[in-house]
Amino acid sequence: MACDSRNKLVYVLLVFFALALLGSALPVDAQDAAREPAYRAFPVLGSRLAVWAVAQLHLNFAAFILGCPIFAVIIEIIGWRTRDQRYDWLAHEFVKLTFAAFSTTAMLGALLLFLFVGYYPRFWAYLTSIFFPTYWVYALLFFGETFIVYLWYYGWEWLSGSRKWIHVSLGVLANLVGTAILVVANSWVTFMISPGGIDESGRLVSLWKAINNYTWMPINVHRLIANIVFGGTIAAAYAAFRFLSAETQEERARYDWMGYVGNFVAVSAFIVLPFAGYWLGREIYAFNQTMGITMMGGFMSWLWIVQAILIGILFLGSNYYLWLGMERIPGSERYRKFVPPMLLILTIGFMIWATPRTMVITFDEARAMGGTHHPVLGFFGVMSAKNTVVNLMILTTFLSYILYRRANRISTKPWVRTGMGVQWAAFAVAAVIVVFFGVYGYFVDSLTRIGFSVWQVLAVLTCIVIVMAIDIPMFRGARSTGTIRWGTIATRSQYVLILLAVTFTWLMGLMGFARSGIRQHWHVYGVLRDTSVDAVTPALGYAANVITIVTIVFFALVTFIFWLGGLGERGGPKGHAPAPVIAGGSDSSEGATSQARPQGATAPSEASPRIDCAGKAGARKS
Amino acid sequence: MRVPVGVKVGVFALAVMGSYSYFANSIPQIESKPPQELSLEGGQVTTAQLVKAGEEIFKTKGTCEVCHRIGQKGTRAPDLAGVGSRATARAAERATKGKPLRPGMTAKQYLLESLLDPGAYAVEGYPPIMPAVDKPPIGLNRSEVWALVAFLQSLGGTVDVTLNDIPATVGAGGAGGGGAAAEVKLPGDPKAGEAIFAGKGGCIACHKAGKVGAAQVGPDLSQIAKIQTPDYIMKKILDPAGMGTVAGYPKGVMPPTFGQTLTAREYTDLVSFLLTLK
Repeated sequence: MACDSRNKLVYVLLVFFALALLGSALPVDAQDAAREPAYRAFPVLGSRLAVWAVAQLHLNFAAFILGCPIFAVIIEIIGWRTRDQRYDWLAHEFVKLTFAAFSTTAMLGALLLFLFVGYYPRFWAYLTSIFFPTYWVYALLFFGETFIVYLWYYGWEWLSGSRKWIHVSLGVLANLVGTAILVVANSWVTFMISPGGIDESGRLVSLWKAINNYTWMPINVHRLIANIVFGGTIAAAYAAFRFLSAETQEERARYDWMGYVGNFVAVSAFIVLPFAGYWLGREIYAFNQTMGITMMGGFMSWLWIVQAILIGILFLGSNYYLWLGMERIPGSERYRKFVPPMLLILTIGFMIWATPRTMVITFDEARAMGGTHHPVLGFFGVMSAKNTVVNLMILTTFLSYILYRRANRISTKPWVRTGMGVQWAAFAVAAVIVVFFGVYGYFVDSLTRIGFSVWQVLAVLTCIVIVMAIDIPMFRGARSTGTIRWGTIATRSQYVLILLAVTFTWLMGLMGFARSGIRQHWHVYGVLRDTSVDAVTPALGYAANVITIVTIVFFALVTFIFWLGGLGERGGPKGHAPAPVIAGGSDSSEGATSQARPQGATAPSEASPRIDCAGKAGARKS
Repeated sequence: MRVPVGVKVGVFALAVMGSYSYFANSIPQIESKPPQELSLEGGQVTTAQLVKAGEEIFKTKGTCEVCHRIGQKGTRAPDLAGVGSRATARAAERATKGKPLRPGMTAKQYLLESLLDPGAYAVEGYPPIMPAVDKPPIGLNRSEVWALVAFLQSLGGTVDVTLNDIPATVGAGGAGGGGAAAEVKLPGDPKAGEAIFAGKGGCIACHKAGKVGAAQVGPDLSQIAKIQTPDYIMKKILDPAGMGTVAGYPKGVMPPTFGQTLTAREYTDLVSFLLTLK
């Protein structure tokens, strides 16, 4: 109770601080307000930078609190169906993190609104003239989401046992309402990029068409997936920090497992994220060719090189973490031979993806080279090459996961040879299709080439579906070669998790800049022009500096909030079931394990990470 | 001494972000500046100046170079080398091809049509992706379209386009002001503004504004509200050099001191008057 009061006091102070900041920033001259200027200047920073920073912070927090509950409820359902308390504990941990960040997200959202109303009144008036009815929907959804999440979090014990289904339903409902909030807010953002439902003078003709504009649905899907990735990486980074700070082996094992689950969630969603990105890009081209071309080939073209490097790091980091994780799995030695070729594919793919089309060179160098395109490397700078390698990198990452998944298991099914043969064939066929369309793309026009990416994506997705459809039954009831030694993973693996979280957060900032920057000097593209002093779209270096500062502030806030959330764990009575003991975490875990896992509980499902709660002697052997 | 985990993790995260920032600062830094409005109406512009202005628009505000090349075949749009002479043959084809058919079209009219209604007769083998240049987001005004046609004519043809060849409706409403939300209703008095124009402001010494004045030192402002945005007009008065000088006129002549010599009321009145000049 003391901690709850302290938390509330801190939140009140935070809100007060934000209001004080806002109050100091608001124009004091009442005449300014009376004149209704198009813009007002935010002190010192300038209005654009203020809006940029707050919007990015709000988006980061919103992504986390919307993404985290999605996999939290899935983990809760796994725990509920398998009657395995460890999953219930883990789901509660994830929701605890969400809950801690909830108020900050709302506060930043309110601050962003005040900034728009105060410093961009003409823009906000115009947006209101289009979307006013949706504001009510948004407010209602937000209230609904707040109540549901509070009930979900505080009702964890109350709605347990036979009432667990009600609790799980609350979790599902929280996610549905959360997603609805996302799509409403997305309609405003996407309207600014690709306005619809208005006449030539910008007046509203159809609210639904304004909402359902070209980029709305692609961004809904893209953000939904990206939120899951983001939530996973942040949760994994939290676990990594707790792992590094752990004082006992049990704690290390617990947070090793939590980090693994967070990363597993992130990687699973991350694999399909580029496909959603393709769709979004295609819709931008469909809306306005000039905007699409400016985005990919104009002043923003170098942004995609930076993006390629970041995504390359995410791919390499995710795979490296899985490879390090395999070292704590007995029986994984037989798969280590696959690591060098996978590393080679990822490295070459990374290098090709990060190859620019146009080189930055002097005039003499250009003359010596015969142009700004390198005679050999220039071929790797186009989308045909980049689409090909990113699909191969996705396939490789999926292969890493498959190997990790079966690291300590040997299938006992009689059809195992056929099954594995079909799996390898699926990988090979997908790779051949991807490479074929990549090469063929050099010999066709751009519109045809863009269509090829769909076939490449379909080949990869089909491979994933086929391989998993075989893998799950093939390893059901498999023979174990030993239990995972949770907590014994190399310390550097935890820094990889932190690297992934930092990189993904930074990448979100970069993509936010890209999404906003392609509008150039328009608030609403082609409709409402930016005539402020900030109408210039800044260069990438400036944007990168802003993104870095905002990311630092975000992590500082997250650390502070998680620290606040963790205060309840210190000293006082526990609010939820005690943390489970994970196999490998203790030499005498039997007593604690029996508490965490009820009698008669079934083993974790095949699709879930394999944790042994029954102590080392009771290793999961079928 | 044992370094706390928080410090180690913090330093690591800062190093990662710092390296990303460093890399992003080490590659080409390109800003996207909002395009400046070009006004040639009422001015004495030579053909060479017109073509030069058109070339500038081709490379900047018109965003033509995003797809078109001169002397190099593009994948998205045709090579424009020699389009000035090729336009004659293309214009002749319009009698039997394209929608709607346009028999008797001149080369000049063809070039204009290809800018204002690009889908009417696209070059075979290229997708019809070109936007109308006088509509947002490009939104060229009448002067700019005039200059652009002149530049295209100069690519292998004879420049004979005049402002009268450009329809008066070109660029109208294309400024992207945000429709109803962007309408400017200044509290100023246009009558009083006219008096400022002819009196305290001294504008009449250089400019003509409809029936007021006849000087030709600076551009004729008789239709300034039609060809320029209110924002441009307001800024131009306060920062003449910063807003650029109309082609064909000497730089640095317009005084930069109106922000100090005019009161807020007088400034508002003057802008209100200029906004009536359509």
